[in-house]
Amino acid sequence: MSALLEVQDIHTYIGQFHILEGVSLAANEGEVTVMLGRNGAGKTTTLRSILGLTPPRSGSIRFAGKEIGGLPTYSVAQLGIGYVPEDRGIFTDLTVEENLKIAERAKGDLDRKADLVFGLFPDLKRLYRLKGGQLSGGQQQMLAMARALVPDNRLLLIDEPTKGLAPVIVEKVMETIHQLKETVTVLLVEQNFFVASDIGDRCYILDVGRTVHTGAMADLERDEALVQRYLGAVA
Amino acid sequence: MTLETLVNIGLQGLTMGMLFFLIASGLSLIFGLMDVLNFAHGSFFMIGAYVAWATFDGTAAIIPFSDLRFAIALVAGALAGGGVGALTEWGLIRPLYKRPIFQILMTLGLAYVLTEVVKVVWGASGHSMARPESLSRAVDFLGRPFPAYRLFIIALGLAILLVVSVLLQRSRLGMIIRAGVENGEMVQTLGINVRRVFTLVFTLGAALAALGGAAAAPFVGIYPEIGLEYQLSAFVVVVIGGMGSFAGSAVASILVGLARAFADYQLSPLVAQAIIVAVMAVVLLLKPEGIFGAKKGGGL
Amino acid sequence: MQPLSSWLKARWPWLAVLACLTLAPAFLNKFYLGLMVQVFILAVFALSYDLLMGYSGILSFGHAMFFGSGAYVVGLLLKGAAWPLYAVLPVIIATGALMGVLVGIVTLRVRGVYFAMITLAFAEVIYILSASSQLRPWTGGDEGLHGIPVPAWMSPTAERVTFYYISLSFLVLMYFLARRIVNSPTGRVLIAIRENEARAATIGYNVFWYKVLIIVISGVLAALAGGLNALYFRNATPEVLGVGRTIDALLMTIIGGMGTLIGPVLGAVVIRVLGNYLADWFGPRWPLVFGLIFVALVMFFPWGIVGTLRQRPLRGLAQWIKRLSRGAGQKAS
Repeated sequence: MSALLEVQDIHTYIGQFHILEGVSLAANEGEVTVMLGRNGAGKTTTLRSILGLTPPRSGSIRFAGKEIGGLPTYSVAQLGIGYVPEDRGIFTDLTVEENLKIAERAKGDLDRKADLVFGLFPDLKRLYRLKGGQLSGGQQQMLAMARALVPDNRLLLIDEPTKGLAPVIVEKVMETIHQLKETVTVLLVEQNFFVASDIGDRCYILDVGRTVHTGAMADLERDEALVQRYLGAVA
Repeated sequence: MTLETLVNIGLQGLTMGMLFFLIASGLSLIFGLMDVLNFAHGSFFMIGAYVAWATFDGTAAIIPFSDLRFAIALVAGALAGGGVGALTEWGLIRPLYKRPIFQILMTLGLAYVLTEVVKVVWGASGHSMARPESLSRAVDFLGRPFPAYRLFIIALGLAILLVVSVLLQRSRLGMIIRAGVENGEMVQTLGINVRRVFTLVFTLGAALAALGGAAAAPFVGIYPEIGLEYQLSAFVVVVIGGMGSFAGSAVASILVGLARAFADYQLSPLVAQAIIVAVMAVVLLLKPEGIFGAKKGGGL
Repeated sequence: MQPLSSWLKARWPWLAVLACLTLAPAFLNKFYLGLMVQVFILAVFALSYDLLMGYSGILSFGHAMFFGSGAYVVGLLLKGAAWPLYAVLPVIIATGALMGVLVGIVTLRVRGVYFAMITLAFAEVIYILSASSQLRPWTGGDEGLHGIPVPAWMSPTAERVTFYYISLSFLVLMYFLARRIVNSPTGRVLIAIRENEARAATIGYNVFWYKVLIIVISGVLAALAGGLNALYFRNATPEVLGVGRTIDALLMTIIGGMGTLIGPVLGAVVIRVLGNYLADWFGPRWPLVFGLIFVALVMFFPWGIVGTLRQRPLRGLAQWIKRLSRGAGQKAS
């Protein structure tokens, strides 16, 4: 299996603080790779490092065989990486339509992807003229994922998509990510072990800025001691 | 106060408001998008005034029609301001994005330098600029003569307001600007080079301020302190309207312009200026994000 | 005698400088003594600014209002009201403190750029008021107050040596006062606030009042410097309230190195002594050159003399030249 994204031993500083002290991971094409770990383990910073928002000081990040460490954020994105941040990053002052349109990398992207986007998120059609700020949390989450699908992205980085959502909506988000697998590769940060084990193929556990475990999701589910040690009460 | 006086002062206030709008709208957008509070923004206004005046007088021998010369002068002023703005962003502001405090110090220093440059080139004392022929008459407005030039400034301001609104609301660039004011980082992760948009907005903002200066020149005269003076009013407008809000700065400009005109009439220009700064302080204390506030926090 | 010798050993460079300054009137002529007096006054002004910007992280663009107010208090009371000098001194201090409290309470509710903006606006209003023709009977309008009567014993012209020692003592006193403040528990809290305001507040410090306090202290220092400036030049003009004065303070602080006590003093030496020759050289163009120097410093030596000596110098310049050449290359291709 070929790895679409390969992160090797990255070290990232924020100000004077050494946040990532050697994170390595790989996301295989067509799989959902899950990053687990406690709060402050460095999961979000890893995503941001991949995107060049907090560029790592050392280490390598390869995407589709190309080194992308050190590239500006917009160039990284243009290679085909979509981002769904933890706060969803919806532009509250823009309409749903504009929130989708702004993600177009070529004219007509949205029209070409209309079937995919509105097939996965039929509600968005109804909300089309509303402002982003008028949507509920769950609707914003749908919009954020839809937006990442508008351009031809090969990899989606999704940060805690189920956080703060009602159980019914969580189900829906999970279902959507299952369906996404047919189109794109996903690197997912998820605190909710139940969600992670349900949709993840492979998993990485981060602890205080380091990768401490790598393996198939199915194996992790059986290794209760490991789960207890790094994820504690989460499981 | 008679109705006539009221209308007259109202129109005077609108005229000033439009000048404030031309300088404040760029200031507000630049801050909203790039987190740069540009203390050199008034200098672009000043450059616009000087270049327009120099062009108008300098071409007198070649072009006999004062209306045409005036149009050329307006364009020249706006272009000069935009050009200096583009150079400023590219050469001086951009290297300092990682050091915001020094960015502010830079713009303050630049304001000082540009004022001194103008003094060296055109002298420290003031100049006056004639109005073009067709705008130097008075127009009958509700039975009272009103200088056509002021109506021209009002019309120019409204036209710019319309054009920029359409640009912001209907174009892709406008969409990116509005999104960038809210969350510049997210815009980048969508594959958009925000820095290029920064240069564009800074240049456009500078050109608008310079156009304001060019339009103001025949109205208020040309002198080195004009930049800082109008910048001060623009600060007030931007604070009241809310940093980063284009609509807010449009409404606040007109409010401040009207307030100025009435205070000028009833009290003295000096007291009026002081009162308006006091109003800004009050707004900041009660509602720091401004009345139409778009952007939270003061940056840094 | 061991303690004394080790005390001397640690401080001999300072004592040597102080000794030189004390003996200077024996060697320097009147002109250079005058230059030194201006250096001392500006040094205190810059020092007061650095207490805000360097030590507390408060960016004010209206510092001239304190300096200028001190100058105008001297002018108004000595010339206008014919008060004796000893009675003027407490008024200067009170004015600086009162303005500091007002500015602090009104503007500290906002942070960063907003604070810079409002302080500039306040200072500009005071500047406009000082120059206004309506207040001409009191302030002299845009010409300001001239011929302020200074007591004969400290006349800046006839008794320049006395004035020199007064200014030198003033600087030394204020320097130690500032050092005392910076090294006190209060000073450490201020530095903590500069580094991380939220954390300082969480620990339980009342960030707001600490900031008001430092603005008051800084305001008093600046007002005193402004008062002495008015005594030396025997005048108070709107120029001392203008934004140019604030840039003076900024420039001296940045040249010397912000966040250090000796930096602003060095900055004052550079600006006034070097500036004296450069001003002769460039004539009316000097303010322009001065502004360009400021811009260049902000770009390439943001940490000043002291900071640059500690860091790798010229790195910024090299980067900028690289950028320029890259940009030119792009255009050509």
